[in-house]
Amino acid sequence: MNAFLATAWNGFREARRNRVTVVVGAFALVTLLLATLVTQVTVVTFRRVMVDTGLGLMSLILVFLSIFLSSGLLAREIERRTIFLVVTKPISRSMFLWARFAGNLLTLLVLQAVMTAIFVAEMSLFRFPLGPAVWAALGMLVVELFVVTTIGFFCSSFLGQTVSAVVTVGLYFAGHLSGDLYRFGQKAGGVASTVGRAIYFALPNLDRLNFRSLATYDVVPTLDVALKSAVSGLAYGVALLVVASLIFERRDFK
Amino acid sequence: MTSTEPLIRLESVSKDYRLGFWLNRRVHALRELTLDVRPGEVFGLLGPNGAGKSTTIKILMNLVRASSGKATLFGQPPSNRQMRRRLGFVPENPAPYEYLTGREFLSLAASLGEVPRHEIRARVDEVLAAVNMEKAGNLRIRRYSKGMIQRIAIGQALVHRPELLILDEPTSGLDPLGRKLVRDLILSERRRGTTILFSSHIISDVEAVCERVAVLVGGRLVRAGSVSELLTNQVPVAEVVVEGITAEVVQALPTPLHQVEALDGRLRVRVADDQVNQFIGAVIAKGGRVRQLQPERFSLEDMFLSALKEAGPRGTVGGEISE
Repeated sequence: MNAFLATAWNGFREARRNRVTVVVGAFALVTLLLATLVTQVTVVTFRRVMVDTGLGLMSLILVFLSIFLSSGLLAREIERRTIFLVVTKPISRSMFLWARFAGNLLTLLVLQAVMTAIFVAEMSLFRFPLGPAVWAALGMLVVELFVVTTIGFFCSSFLGQTVSAVVTVGLYFAGHLSGDLYRFGQKAGGVASTVGRAIYFALPNLDRLNFRSLATYDVVPTLDVALKSAVSGLAYGVALLVVASLIFERRDFK
Repeated sequence: MTSTEPLIRLESVSKDYRLGFWLNRRVHALRELTLDVRPGEVFGLLGPNGAGKSTTIKILMNLVRASSGKATLFGQPPSNRQMRRRLGFVPENPAPYEYLTGREFLSLAASLGEVPRHEIRARVDEVLAAVNMEKAGNLRIRRYSKGMIQRIAIGQALVHRPELLILDEPTSGLDPLGRKLVRDLILSERRRGTTILFSSHIISDVEAVCERVAVLVGGRLVRAGSVSELLTNQVPVAEVVVEGITAEVVQALPTPLHQVEALDGRLRVRVADDQVNQFIGAVIAKGGRVRQLQPERFSLEDMFLSALKEAGPRGTVGGEISE
């Protein structure tokens, strides 16, 4: 357990020392500028616009940061050979992978917590407290970051840095479109229906984890929907990490 | 496992890498390698670049899997996690996390090596002193020179007090001072009873610290044994410098010669030690004069070069390639 925590903490420390925290500053600056602008152009929809852009911006920054951090991590460790000094210690490769994943997720969670605090403070400044719909969207963003990070780790377990990043970005967008592909397949019928269904089950359904549009209109999702979405996202991510572990355990580090 | 059993055993170990888009070409990086490393000895793996030394070490460290054959350390397969508590490893061109300080990196290595938490600080201090890095311990590794990186990498291999050290080219790229420091560290570990497997293509380093060596060429074992045994097995040679006689006449003499080299009006001839008297007599009889006679000390380098020569085209870099 000590080795797991040490590796996870090291991952968090790596991100901190590589100054990924500047994204928080960027987020604070953009939302502040946006609030100033929005107050000039709207009165009635101020809350809606601020929630929409605030959550959207937070999601955009964190998702791309998670892709950037996760998709090249294992490949970079192998290419730079830093991994040689770690996996030759009495820890299994799977444990290394899960610990690095935990470190990555910790980084994203800390960043999201700080961004949320800035967002809450800003909305309080304009006397708009955040309702349960926004908290539900923020909670589901954690699950989405979990899934995107697992996709990055999965690709990184057998692909090079660049290819892994490209494939992860592709899967992220495909994940947001998988529901549409399914519906398209059902309408077309025949082989397209089977293919559409296969793609739907193979890809993560990231649209299901997007509660941001509901939050914009202050619509609170039912507990049943929220739980099902979270569980399906977490299950998909864990399954992907298990497959990544199996691949990573067997590959040669030349 | 008894104390006399080998700590490392390789039995007919081979490794092929697949190349090409369709993975249809194969590089035979290692072929049927069999060797033992006994407890308490310093064993050298010698060979030119691409001979299979690093592949052998990577198989032992579970970084790559053998295509065939069996490798064991402490009687266990390389994948055994508990066994790895007993060994320390320094790869070729080590790359520690450069965003950490030397001290932080050693603490991480100690945690991974299952050193009890309350002992980590003391162990790190001890190792920093051993590798002469006390002053640079709080500097980020990205500011380290190559020699300092090598020393911190050796430090991480020692921090959990291993019984077996595996070092891949630990002196490669270091200046003479850095090489001496690494050699001294190896010797001090040997005095503590640590078994060491050490790969290098720098023959003087191997000769300075190793008791037994194996020479790999083109992925095959071409020599193995104790350093003294390998050297005494060689035929002693003498170098004779003669003048007043042509190279053609010398080469026509009945004495078998190792080498004839023209040098500034004189000839330098290498001849087997037991043939020297006969050779000198023949030269004088042909009107030549002997200017110098010097017995040659046979070094590990000579043995290495003769092994390379015997291997011929098989001694190519990177092993043999087949379709």
